[in-house]
Amino acid sequence: MATTPVSTDEITVLQGALAAEYAAVYGYGVVGAYLSGQERGAAMSDWQLHQDARDTLTGMIGKLGGTPVAASAAYDLPFSVDSVASARRLAAVIEEGVTRAYLGVVAVGNAKVRTFGALAMQGPANRAIAWGGSPTAFPGMTSAPAGAATDR
Amino acid sequence: MLLRRQVLAASTTTLPLFLGLAGCAGHPNPLSGPPPLSPDVRTLMTAATAEDNLVYLYTNTIASYSALASGLSPLLAEHQAHLSALRARIIEPPGKKLHLAPSSRPKIPATEAEAVAQLRAAEQAAVTAQLGRLPAATAAEAQLYASIATSEATHITVLKGLSLS
Repeated sequence: MATTPVSTDEITVLQGALAAEYAAVYGYGVVGAYLSGQERGAAMSDWQLHQDARDTLTGMIGKLGGTPVAASAAYDLPFSVDSVASARRLAAVIEEGVTRAYLGVVAVGNAKVRTFGALAMQGPANRAIAWGGSPTAFPGMTSAPAGAATDR
Repeated sequence: MLLRRQVLAASTTTLPLFLGLAGCAGHPNPLSGPPPLSPDVRTLMTAATAEDNLVYLYTNTIASYSALASGLSPLLAEHQAHLSALRARIIEPPGKKLHLAPSSRPKIPATEAEAVAQLRAAEQAAVTAQLGRLPAATAAEAQLYASIATSEATHITVLKGLSLS
């Protein structure tokens, strides 16, 4: 039976998404420590979603013949987290980073992997806004495409 | 073996015949006019028209229900940005003017709740359509479609919030 050859690009971009999910799992550990009540519950739920996504990506990379990258022991946070406000901001930044990573997956040629990446962007993009991130017309993009107006 | 002048004479007399045959054989005549639009351009035009339809819908919903303006105007602005980005990628072939305009002008429903529901349905349809464009797109266009689809998915969440408030 003929099989579609796996492009190393597919494994590379999925590894990028996996790295983002590892960072998210780590980051939510910090986020949850500063929240309480319903917000802490939301952070725990999002933390679990990232663990599930990590496991999905690990499985995908293995099936494609790659060796999943390992998580780092610790990650540098983009800013100091020492309050409820900074914890919420970290959660939003984490989700924006994960959205960007999955946009990277969309660039591959394999249609199934491309669609997987596109669908995987939606959860993090919604969560980024829920945590107070700025809504954007082009989630995942570091700058607006040529010809586009700016964000909201 | 043909002499050179025989070949040249044959070319002069057979060129019109060749052009005629080219038109009749089901192949586009390369000298008859602008080239046909590529599949990428056609897809971009379809995507741009879909965004135009959403801009029309949001504009008219806001006009009908001013109380929704503060919630809907940011979403309208994002669709206008999507439309601009898609239009910027459409390269008109020389000699061919492309006309882009909304293709759908639905009636705005009689109640605010129904109007918001109509927008949610339109956004969901837009997300599905964008995902359908992914497999055949170039890498850059696929990323644009995916990003727009994600933006539209966040709009669904915002509209759900408007429904509940």
